[in-house]
Amino acid sequence: MNFGKTAVFAALALFLFYVVLIFSLLTFFEGRSFWEVLLAPDTLFSIRLSLLAATIATLLAVAIGLPAAYALSRASFPGKKLVDTFLELPMIMSPIALGAALLIFFNTAIGEAIQEKGILFVFEFPGIVLAQFATIAGLATRLMKTALDEISPRYEAVARSLGSSAWGAFWKITFPLALRGLVSTMILCWAKAIGEFGATVTLAGTMAYKTETMPIAIFMALASADLRKTIILILILAGIGLSALYAVRFVEKRPQIL
Amino acid sequence: MITVRQILHNVLAVVILTLLVPCPLLASSGSLMIFAGAASKPPTEEAARIYKQKRGVEVQITFGGSGFVLSQMKLARRGDVYFPGSSDFMEKAKRDGLVFPETERIVAYLIPAINVQKGNPKKIQSLKDLLKPGLRLAMADPESVCVGTYAGEVVEKNLTPKERAFFRKNLVTTVESCEKTANIISLKGVDAVIGWEVFQRWDPERIETVFLRLEEVPRIGYLPAAVSRLTGNRPLAEEFVNFLISPESKDVFKRHGYLMSLEEARKYTLPGTPVGGEYSLPKEWRRGKR
Repeated sequence: MNFGKTAVFAALALFLFYVVLIFSLLTFFEGRSFWEVLLAPDTLFSIRLSLLAATIATLLAVAIGLPAAYALSRASFPGKKLVDTFLELPMIMSPIALGAALLIFFNTAIGEAIQEKGILFVFEFPGIVLAQFATIAGLATRLMKTALDEISPRYEAVARSLGSSAWGAFWKITFPLALRGLVSTMILCWAKAIGEFGATVTLAGTMAYKTETMPIAIFMALASADLRKTIILILILAGIGLSALYAVRFVEKRPQIL
Repeated sequence: MITVRQILHNVLAVVILTLLVPCPLLASSGSLMIFAGAASKPPTEEAARIYKQKRGVEVQITFGGSGFVLSQMKLARRGDVYFPGSSDFMEKAKRDGLVFPETERIVAYLIPAINVQKGNPKKIQSLKDLLKPGLRLAMADPESVCVGTYAGEVVEKNLTPKERAFFRKNLVTTVESCEKTANIISLKGVDAVIGWEVFQRWDPERIETVFLRLEEVPRIGYLPAAVSRLTGNRPLAEEFVNFLISPESKDVFKRHGYLMSLEEARKYTLPGTPVGGEYSLPKEWRRGKR
């Protein structure tokens, strides 16, 4: 078997692994309950809440992550390597650890002051957004940095030499060239935010009709030993996530060399 | 070009090879797998250690929410003993045909109570004090956590509809487990929770228990254990359940602050307060029905 066939086999084997996981859910699937669960008020609330929170968290992550990614890609500054390393903290810390750290932060004097004078995060909607943001911000910055790294700085240098401002060079030259990568980043981070559980449940709680996102609803259904509802909610969440990720395929462009 | 036949051949080869590899993860006949609610984690771990020392039997325990571990046991199709945090989930396990009902034993008793931060900064002395404006309260999820069901029952049976509205206004969150209900007080996340009186023993430096009035306790809870129908070694599983109610094990639970007899539990309730059973939550507490 040559390298090309081996590579394709590996891709298909991985695909089969996940397909088998999804199909195995059907062993407990009760079709007649699907619409009942999908259209139940608590499910619709959880879907709306998940979509809204993930969208806000992603926009915030990109808004802050894009300039950060640009700095990491183009600039030299003291502590750059340290900053770069810390961006990977959410990947090392489990989501529950991240949520616990946030909960403990809001127990400190600064955290209490923020909640008293600013926004309530603990067990509130902003807490969901914050938990998801904490989980995806580092990843968003890392992915956008990679996208920017692929654009040669020479383009901006040439633009600057022809009289463009730094912002103008970025906005008119680098940004359009990196746009596909940036949009891919947004979609991937949005999908990750939608599926976020550990940090959210720790910081925002599990209150139905308030902070119960789709992943939390799945956990609570399992915790109630309601397998019927658990399976249906998993399929709904998988459907939403896979649809978003499939959309990435139309945005990405990868060279075909096999 | 790769054909479908080639792919299927390769996948089949992988599957066969996997099946031929001996799996060390399957419990041997000389070990036990317990699915336990987190409400009894500290003493159960200690009791299991003692049992292992005496009998040389490995005891593997999966802790979690009582409903969560019941789901795990059902999906994994294995498990020797089910040890939830309340009779509500044991009744569910019996209805689902997952345990031998005749093997059920009561290990310890639990009383619902109000838990507050150490020092009781908000001066909460009674259930009605939880209605004070501005208080931040929490409780375990009433549909999936034993102590949450009891909390819901306490609220339903002791407060008027208007008072329940005040309670709900102060209720900032529900949480997903017994230990989270206690932790949230330790972390000063809220001013009070309706939990188990034993929570104070879990973290005496941060949690204080305020007992409900005798007539406010709707039911005496208990920790039941029963042999799972999925067991591969019923005699050994029954032996472990019986060990849990032995004097040696009871000493462990007592040391951890659990109530070991009905007489002890009745000090906190009226004489006729029912023990165990199941409570059906009103629809206001149920997710899908609101």
